[in-house]
Amino acid sequence: MADQPAPFWWRLTNSAGLSEPDERETAMAAAPFSPPSARSTPVPRPESPAAPLDSEALLDVWFAREQDGVNVWRNCQPGASVAEIATRLALVPAAFLSDDVAILPLAENILQMEYGRTVRAIPDRRGQEILEVADQVRASGSAFARKGAALVLWLWASDDQHGPLSVPLSPVWYARTLAALAFRLAPVVDPAEWVRDADRRDEAARTFLLWSGQLPAGEDEDAARSILAMRDSLQQNQALAQTMAEHEHRLQVTKRLQEARAREAAARYSNE
Amino acid sequence: MSDPPGTATALPHPDDPLALAEYAPGGAVALTDAERWPTLDAAGAARLGAVAGHPLAPAWVHRTGDRLSADAIHRATTPLPAAGWLEEHLAVARRLPAYRRRAERLGALATWPTVTRDDLLDDVSAFVPLDADLDRMVEGSSSGTTGRALQIPDDIEEVARSFHLLVRLVADQGIDWRPDPARMALAYVVHQRQAFTYTSSISSFGQATMARLNLHPSQWPAAGQRTGFLLAQQPQVITGNPTSLAELLHPELVAGLRPLALFSGAMALSLGLRRDLERAYGCPVIDVYGLHETRPIAASADGGPFVVLDRRVHVEILDADGAPVPAGERGEIVVTAGENPLLPLVRYRTGDFGRLVDVAGRPALADMEGREATRFVAADGSLVPCVDLTQHLQAGGAHGWSVRQAGDGAVRATVVGGDPVQIGAALERLLGRPVPVVRVAGLLDLGEGKPRRYESLAPGA
Repeated sequence: MADQPAPFWWRLTNSAGLSEPDERETAMAAAPFSPPSARSTPVPRPESPAAPLDSEALLDVWFAREQDGVNVWRNCQPGASVAEIATRLALVPAAFLSDDVAILPLAENILQMEYGRTVRAIPDRRGQEILEVADQVRASGSAFARKGAALVLWLWASDDQHGPLSVPLSPVWYARTLAALAFRLAPVVDPAEWVRDADRRDEAARTFLLWSGQLPAGEDEDAARSILAMRDSLQQNQALAQTMAEHEHRLQVTKRLQEARAREAAARYSNE
Repeated sequence: MSDPPGTATALPHPDDPLALAEYAPGGAVALTDAERWPTLDAAGAARLGAVAGHPLAPAWVHRTGDRLSADAIHRATTPLPAAGWLEEHLAVARRLPAYRRRAERLGALATWPTVTRDDLLDDVSAFVPLDADLDRMVEGSSSGTTGRALQIPDDIEEVARSFHLLVRLVADQGIDWRPDPARMALAYVVHQRQAFTYTSSISSFGQATMARLNLHPSQWPAAGQRTGFLLAQQPQVITGNPTSLAELLHPELVAGLRPLALFSGAMALSLGLRRDLERAYGCPVIDVYGLHETRPIAASADGGPFVVLDRRVHVEILDADGAPVPAGERGEIVVTAGENPLLPLVRYRTGDFGRLVDVAGRPALADMEGREATRFVAADGSLVPCVDLTQHLQAGGAHGWSVRQAGDGAVRATVVGGDPVQIGAALERLLGRPVPVVRVAGLLDLGEGKPRRYESLAPGA
């Protein structure tokens, strides 16, 4: 009898508990994350909020993708509710929030579930894109980015345990979503807060839905944009918001110059 | 007025191995006439149509307008106030993305770092204000003779205002230049193998006509066509560079044209050519020094030093380390330029060298270098202006280059970046002789100064 593949849940929790190479191994229980109560000891914060330079370095990875937020909003389809996603976030096994979460094996395991074959040989372009983002996360050396990415992987994989979302996610946007949460949101909000704090959980759920190409159930684009803008930690961080504004400015100027070149020059009157 | 440009022979020839796609007739046409000239009235349209469709007109490569609304026309005809502009300019510049992280350390002008063309090539958007009105942006490429093409955000109104600068410079010579419905207001002439050519209406100058004309013989297939067209239009003012202005010395043109003034730019105008043009036309010849990035900086109407223009421009002379040279000493011309609201530059290194002197109480630039007008001698004896080489060096992807012709006619090129094989083949076709091309790693390997070097020691160049 051929060996049965290990249950997904087993593989997932084991990979989530793996340390990155050359780092200490951490055996983490696969229990859901427990929000701290007033009496409980606060969850240790292994790393202070990312220093501005670290955050900017992570944001640079996101900016390099040159995502056009306006188009993303415009193309969103009605999706799952914020509450569904937020609930899933609250149910994340603690192992996913380990500082040492080994993001690449975790991503490989989840893709293996999707594709049912050895991940290194996955021919699918989208699968490779996801692995590339996961590898960028690993290479960043940022625990915030790793944990943010791990939470996204959890959201994808949690159907196995908690049943399908009301509106299925499109794998087309997996790589983009993984990058958004790891490199846009995680640099400004510790992913542990996505689980622990209701507002940040709402922000993470909305960010996840946006980059997954979905409008929150019951909201139109204007409402969804308005609420996320209010929650957006990046916009509320003055220095990083400036960085973001400059990035968007760069995109705009470049785009306008290209459009202007394609359109026409204006009449000129002399040599310069 | 929405017909496609030019119905005459399409140039360049489709089989021409040196043809560059962007110079195909109509290749860059995208707007409607209502967008090109929002205020154009019936009389203006008739004048424009008469030029565009003149039987001797060249095959227009392009169609373009000034895009000025009525409000914009009013603004374009009014010079920006120059009093106290520098403080305001520096305040704007401190908010540019390029300076944000060190804005608090930037005080008076002397505390600012210099900016180079490479900085703009790296990320020109960092020098565009975050609150700039990008709807007024048109794209300009700095061409020409100064290395890798740079995309520059130009402001529609500033481009139009540059025309009125010419009007003022003519007025400074005691000449009243007004629109004359019977004449073309301005002919902007070039002389190169391929070029954008078009005719347009100057909305802010009585909707008078203007045209960018390529005087290269290949653009005028019919005998007498070039002279006939120019004489028919009788341009009031002609602008160009030394190569194209030299064409105006053709006896038929000298006999028939009656310009109010001639303007030269882009390259150094030799005293000999200046005097020949002055004698031929009996009008002022005004040499304007400027870069596309900075806009016009200074002008010389008499062949002497270039007097810095009374506009939002400030000139310094710095040494290689960025320190001011002693008064009157030679160094690099560094310009702070505030005319283009989309590209407010602070201490921009021009790559040109000269001395700052005083002319009647005004700062002026003397002994300038860096604008040499080089021509190469092709195997058949014809003269090829360096701008023709530039087009193919840029098309081949070169970021910088040195092209030298020895006294025996042999030509060698050194390039930074690009495809040496493609470039060598193009230059060989252009000059009719083999051109070995060597690729080097960086601009520094070309030596100091502008990332272009042209030199020809061939007799007759």
